[in-house]
Amino acid sequence: MIAPTDALATALTTRYVAAQLAGDRRAALLVVDDGLAQGLSAAELQLQVVQPAQYEIGRLWQDNRITVAQEHLATAISQLVLAHLYRHLHRGPSNGRRVVVACVEGELHDMGARVAADHLEMSGYEVHYLGANVPTDDLVDMVRADPPDMLALSASMPAHLPAIQEAVSRVCEATGNRVPIALGGRAFAGTEADYAAAGTLVSCTNIERLVAEAKERVSGKG
Amino acid sequence: MTVPITPDMLDAVTSLTREVALAVSRSGEVVWADERATRLLGVSAGTSIADIAYDGAAEKLERLVDAASQAEVERWEALIAVAGQPVAVSFRGRPLDDGRGAALVGSLVAQDYGALLAQMSESMSELATLQRETSRQQRELTRANRALDDSSRGMVALYSELDEKADSLRVANEVKSRFVANISHELRTPLNSILGLSKLLLSRADGDLTPEQEKQIGFVRRSAESLSEIVNDLLDIAKLEAGKLVLRPTKFEVHDVLGALRGMLRPLVTSDAVELIVDEPPPGMPSFETDEGKLSQVLRNFVSNALKFTERGEVRVTARDNGDGTATFTVRDTGIGIARADRERIFEEFGQVANPLQDKVKGTGLGLSVSQKLAELLGGHITLESELGEGSAFSIVVPFVHPEAQGMAEMAERSRDVDPSRSPVLVVEDDRQTLFLYEKYLAGSGFQVLPARTLDEARSTLRRIKPAAIVLDVMLEGETTWRFLEELKASESTRHIPALVVTVTDREQKARALGADEFFVKPIDRDWLLRKLRHLARKGPVEKVLVIDDDEVARYLVRKMLVDTAYTVIEAADGPEGVRKAREEQPHAIILDFVLPNETAFEVIDDLKGDLRTRRIPVIVSTSKTLDDDERRRLAADTAAILSKQTLSREVAIARIREALEKTVVA
Repeated sequence: MIAPTDALATALTTRYVAAQLAGDRRAALLVVDDGLAQGLSAAELQLQVVQPAQYEIGRLWQDNRITVAQEHLATAISQLVLAHLYRHLHRGPSNGRRVVVACVEGELHDMGARVAADHLEMSGYEVHYLGANVPTDDLVDMVRADPPDMLALSASMPAHLPAIQEAVSRVCEATGNRVPIALGGRAFAGTEADYAAAGTLVSCTNIERLVAEAKERVSGKG
Repeated sequence: MTVPITPDMLDAVTSLTREVALAVSRSGEVVWADERATRLLGVSAGTSIADIAYDGAAEKLERLVDAASQAEVERWEALIAVAGQPVAVSFRGRPLDDGRGAALVGSLVAQDYGALLAQMSESMSELATLQRETSRQQRELTRANRALDDSSRGMVALYSELDEKADSLRVANEVKSRFVANISHELRTPLNSILGLSKLLLSRADGDLTPEQEKQIGFVRRSAESLSEIVNDLLDIAKLEAGKLVLRPTKFEVHDVLGALRGMLRPLVTSDAVELIVDEPPPGMPSFETDEGKLSQVLRNFVSNALKFTERGEVRVTARDNGDGTATFTVRDTGIGIARADRERIFEEFGQVANPLQDKVKGTGLGLSVSQKLAELLGGHITLESELGEGSAFSIVVPFVHPEAQGMAEMAERSRDVDPSRSPVLVVEDDRQTLFLYEKYLAGSGFQVLPARTLDEARSTLRRIKPAAIVLDVMLEGETTWRFLEELKASESTRHIPALVVTVTDREQKARALGADEFFVKPIDRDWLLRKLRHLARKGPVEKVLVIDDDEVARYLVRKMLVDTAYTVIEAADGPEGVRKAREEQPHAIILDFVLPNETAFEVIDDLKGDLRTRRIPVIVSTSKTLDDDERRRLAADTAAILSKQTLSREVAIARIREALEKTVVA
């Protein structure tokens, strides 16, 4: 049985993708504004409209229905829309914890990281978002100088796993294993076990799980 | 005309191409790649398409190969991995070898186009990141501001605490000063008795003395004098600290002060081994316009110290013109000198250096600290040169013309012409500092201050100009302004000018302000008393003198003083008795002690002035006690505002005067 919100979300997603393919960013913004007006939260729009739309765009390319150029354009539109939605996020009361969110060196797909950052902020964390393709050296320096309560790294391609590994081991060394590290992104499907030993936690594309585990891990600290 | 193709031409053309050609087996292996494919995509024969495809794009490439192995395919995009980066290639393909593979020709134009958009997308991404970051920093800034607010509130609280502390310190200091002053005055009464009586005894008025008795009384007297000196020093310090020491600048020459010094200091030289020399001043020294008395006091202190600590040799006083508007007086001795380490300590109150000479001579230890404060009051400072065993040279540097005197001259200049754009206010006030303050605070509100330091000056100014208001210090040097006020109100031309009267809380001034005709500080001096009585006789013959004082010694002394004169002395021990006797006996003068048990001189004067029979009797108020501040009820009609002037809050008082003036003066 399709819940009413699902139907609404689906309808919005369809409109959204159409706007993306037409290269019409205003129409795309209108879609989310409609969604907000109809009672969907910014978080719901992110997870139920924008993200599915991105997957759809990817599928369309896979099916050779759109070109890479169109995909880039669509992504750019989604970046804009996410930035727009950022302002509508209902930030919960601050819990006094700080999280650094970054895509590792070479990783250009930051949409997932962005959504994760948004959700962490909504949960009351102070998020320092570093963006896509963060050079490992800079990342390590930053974490060493001002250790956050948690570091979240994102990689959506298996090709970027080596960068993840390097980042993780160097950060652990620099902080004496004191900073818990969360790993997210499609690159991690099925690899939880490999990282558990390093004291990090792993989640795939499940944002809610990331937030819940963060709550458990981070508040456990003194 | 055609040109044959050269290898270079071919290379050039080839290098421009954005096309690649491949032959791929159906199983996914590259069996042939042309030179361009190798150059542009790094693809060569023998690699599998799984390897050449960019992450996540292998499936699409496989589908391409599969489809192209079966039929013609157009515009199939694939992502090829080149040096780790995705390159978009748009392929056209057709089957090869009956479906065992596919020939592929790819165009990188898609990549070129896509790359631009990729850049745009990345820029969007960066912009969005920037936006978040800005947002975050904004929040941090807000937090920091709040923290700053909190801490600045903390600072304000701290400052207000500091202010309170400063205030309570100030109050404590005032209390201390008043305590010191009170004690000193308390000590004075018995001291005055001792001094007065011992003088009486030595005068042999009541019988002769044996040499032994004379010696004994001499000792008694010297002890009392010593104690008196301490008390005076303490009072000086208390007054200095309370800022109550008033500067009285006069014009004098260097000869005057040195000459007076010679005369005053002779008695201090007690030993033949030490010679006191006051050098002739250099010729042509400018005149002084400053407080001669205080300058002398400092020099006397220097000389007395020098004499104390010099066993043999000389103490020499010199003066010189520094050429910069200041003069230096130096007292140089050949005495024991002062160690470097002790130099600061000797200027501290009660700071004395332990040494055998110090034990021999008396001293309060207050002299130098008083001198230092006096030097500052004079606008100068003290310097010291000394080495242990080699004598000392104390110098005081003072400006020839005291800065206040200077200021006064300038102020008189300024007020000579009436400024039509400002309201003229006649300020009758003799204290320079106060006059400066008036000018400063009133000028800012559009008033022009016309200063008058005496009532005569005030009268002459009034003849010249009709001011918009008059500010009147109730007590000028030696005159009360009550009669002046009466004059003002009586005259047609000045009746309407609003007059603001300012009171003071100094005891002497107060006594006069309340109608006293004369004032003295005990111990009373016979000559002075006789002079005063003769002066008062201008108004009629004086025969009876009423003394109202609860101290019987004081009454006794007055009686003794007037014993062989034409005056009869009547005594009263308290106010009511005094008033009664005044009414009955109608004395020609009343000597009234300022503080009596159960009442003050004000009340007695009130009673005296309130009664027709006693109103005209001149009252001489005497005191040996300090009063605490009192109410200002005596100041009544004919005034537009009544304010009290205390040294510490002069500015506040004048600000209020300004306000009052603004209210009374109609523009």
